[in-house]
Amino acid sequence: MLNLSFWVLLLPLLGFLILGLVGRIMSRAVILAIAWGACGLAFLFATMSFFSMLGTTPPSAHTIDQVVYTWVNSGTLHIIFGQLLDPLSATMLMVITGVGLLIHIYSAGYMEHDPGFWRFFSFLNFFIFAMVLLVTADNFLFLLIGWALVGLASFLLIGFWYQRHAAVAAAQKALVINVIGDFGLLLAIFLIFSSFGSLNYYDVFSKLGAATAGSTTITAICLLLFVACAAKSAQLPLYMWLPDAMEGPTPVSALIHAATMVTAGVYLVARANPLFEQAPIALNTVAAIGGATALFAATIALFQLDIKRVLAYSTISQLGYMFMSEGVHNYSGGIFHLTTHAYFKALLFLGAGAVIHALSGEQDIRQMGGLRRRLPITFWTFLIAALAISGIPPLAGFWSKDEILSSLLAQATTTGNLWFYILWGAGLLTAGLTAFYMFRLLLGIFMGNYRGGDYVHEAPPVMTVPLIILAVLSVIGGFAGSFGLIGLARWQPLANFLAPLVATVHGPEVPLGLEWTSTALSIGLDVLGIFGAWVLYRRGFAYKENRNPLYQLVLHKYYVDEALSLLIVRPALAVGRAATRWLEGGVFDGGGRNLALLLRGTSTMLRRPQTGYVRNYALAILLGAVLIIVYYAVRG
Amino acid sequence: MPLSAYLIMSAILFSIGVVGVLIRRSPLVIFMSIELMLNAVNLSFVAFSKFLDTADGQMFVFLVLTVAAAEVVVGLAIIVSIFRTRRTIDVDEMNALRG
Amino acid sequence: MTSTLAIQISFLVLAIASTASALGVIIFKNAVYSALSLILTLLFLALFYLQLGAMFIAIVQILIYAGAIMVLFLFVVTMLAPDASESEVRDPLRWQRIIAGVLGAALVGTLSYLLFTGAAAQGNVTNAGANSLSYMVHTRGDIEAFGLALFHGFAFPFEVTSLLIVVAILGALVFGRRT
Repeated sequence: MLNLSFWVLLLPLLGFLILGLVGRIMSRAVILAIAWGACGLAFLFATMSFFSMLGTTPPSAHTIDQVVYTWVNSGTLHIIFGQLLDPLSATMLMVITGVGLLIHIYSAGYMEHDPGFWRFFSFLNFFIFAMVLLVTADNFLFLLIGWALVGLASFLLIGFWYQRHAAVAAAQKALVINVIGDFGLLLAIFLIFSSFGSLNYYDVFSKLGAATAGSTTITAICLLLFVACAAKSAQLPLYMWLPDAMEGPTPVSALIHAATMVTAGVYLVARANPLFEQAPIALNTVAAIGGATALFAATIALFQLDIKRVLAYSTISQLGYMFMSEGVHNYSGGIFHLTTHAYFKALLFLGAGAVIHALSGEQDIRQMGGLRRRLPITFWTFLIAALAISGIPPLAGFWSKDEILSSLLAQATTTGNLWFYILWGAGLLTAGLTAFYMFRLLLGIFMGNYRGGDYVHEAPPVMTVPLIILAVLSVIGGFAGSFGLIGLARWQPLANFLAPLVATVHGPEVPLGLEWTSTALSIGLDVLGIFGAWVLYRRGFAYKENRNPLYQLVLHKYYVDEALSLLIVRPALAVGRAATRWLEGGVFDGGGRNLALLLRGTSTMLRRPQTGYVRNYALAILLGAVLIIVYYAVRG
Repeated sequence: MPLSAYLIMSAILFSIGVVGVLIRRSPLVIFMSIELMLNAVNLSFVAFSKFLDTADGQMFVFLVLTVAAAEVVVGLAIIVSIFRTRRTIDVDEMNALRG
Repeated sequence: MTSTLAIQISFLVLAIASTASALGVIIFKNAVYSALSLILTLLFLALFYLQLGAMFIAIVQILIYAGAIMVLFLFVVTMLAPDASESEVRDPLRWQRIIAGVLGAALVGTLSYLLFTGAAAQGNVTNAGANSLSYMVHTRGDIEAFGLALFHGFAFPFEVTSLLIVVAILGALVFGRRT
């Protein structure tokens, strides 16, 4: 089996270094050649490895663990950087490099007029490198390193337009929240190492068994890992950074905050699924938070007025779906939704980028409308993506969402637990809401009256070709999922592919009738959502001031950011100011000053005997002599 | 007379000299007080010479005498040169080393 | 017996006189009076030396100390404002007198106490025989005894003092220059 994962890792790194060091003086053509070349070759090698893996017959031979570099080899501590190429990492690599390549191409058009062109592409390559490192690492330590590096890439790219204060603030916010997640991951690594003595995936997983099931240590490990996932994948309560991250350029939002980086959390849960299988409490937590987040974010997305904010909350909501799936033991379902979501969400973002590019930076949908005739390609691809995310068959989103809902229902019927029914209901409701706000966005942008000038034109081919490719993928991408619905239960290529790695592939089966009910309900809700949006926004978006307090609450995103600012940020700043004034000014500076004053005071006191009068000195001498004589007299 | 009588005499003269050094402000009188102290000590030496029946005490007195002479010469020269520059010979005026 | 009584009476008289003139040195405001008091004290001390049998030293005291050194003193005193009274300027150190008096009294008191209660002076002859002073005086006479002691035991210091005197003269010359 061909394993080119090392080159997939190395090429973007080289691209980053070259562009970073000398990109400033290169011409556009050379920059694009290096950036596209690095990502393109990485995609090529990833594809070659993928197909070679498909061609290798015994599925157990699909795994290769290749040592790249032995870092620490002392006593019982062995830290070896190795690359793991197995079905899960191969799938992730395809998504990362594939969508990454499309976005590299798109960015050439979008960032055309930006003076930081070379910087953008070097950061993009760096991101690809970091993400590849994350998914191909064969041990938790290098996973952490990749995790932190993608956080860094996110920071650099969110704050790309660093002269804008809002961008820098957003980048800082993202980094701070991500670091909370990094901390959780670090603690989990400590626990893993102390419990299992190694950080390598296979070493750890092979030590799990009936004896370790349900232990509190493993539950703690899984919960800490999920903290990291919640931070990276913007789940409750660490989601606040993702809407603000829309300050970055739209290709960045498409690549990092839709398709790839935020999915790292989903990847981690799937990768560590043997651990999660042993901690039911943690798994239920994953499902619960996923469900809550999905519904919560969908409600916020209903009323947002900025294109990218709507899409950001939509991403948070869809990530909740993926975690819900993984929470009911359907890891391959989560990964499946990850791939389909990557297609249509990236498409949505790139389409939004085309609209923003055409309107020279306008992002408020109250200023848009009637762009259907002027941006035709954008309109049709956006429509396909909206249909896909709404779960309309036979587009990709339908298959993945349906699989998630059916596995939720399966878990509910098997365990009989009310909460799983509630989760299933939440999933259905969210699907309906998703359809509604997505079509609200679509209609608001493309229907109604045109409000802009005359210079609005369609995007150049370098931007529209990736849109078309992604649209095609959004249509056919669902066919890698399970066809059990229509009676072809044996057709589930992705699940079979991932089978050696995940615990339960063929989860508890739902009786076909019940499954059809669930599917019918979800399609029904989706159509209802679309219809509702059509009724309200058929003639475009007409913004009316609404003083309803409930509306205001949701419009302001439940005032979460304001609450955080009040509860955490202001006290922290106050502590900092107090420390500067009292601690530094009073104690450190003051200590030095007071020491000097003390010395000066004592020296002033000690100078008093130096009167300058010789007679005083003589008196002192006499005094000393008399004292000695008296002492001898007394002593006898 | 017992030895202690002479020694007490010497002690009295010495103390008078010491007090004179401390309370007078003219350097000349201070110098004279110092001479008084030296002479008191000479008296002790001679008394011991008599009572220990040895000539060493008197030898010492001889040397002290010589040294006192040399010291007076130099000291008075210094006082004169100070007077030439400062026009005053009050010891309390020379307090430039005050801290 | 009478000689002892005479010695005691003469000692007492000399003691009172020398104490009075010593006090005069430090009390007189006029520097010339102080110098004259000092000369008187030196004379009384010479009489003490006579009483103690140190003939040569007594003569030398009068000749050198009173005759040369004090004359030098008087030269300088009369040259430098002899009539200046110190009480013209206010004394910056008022406590000095009191403390000096106290300390002086303490010094005398303590020394006297020590001398009274210390080991009694035996008047022993630590070196008997040929080195004994009284013997030498008895056999050779005062001056010869003194001379023998000086040039036999103390020849080197004697020579060094001549060097000392040369240095003192040079020092005086240097300080006395008009620059």
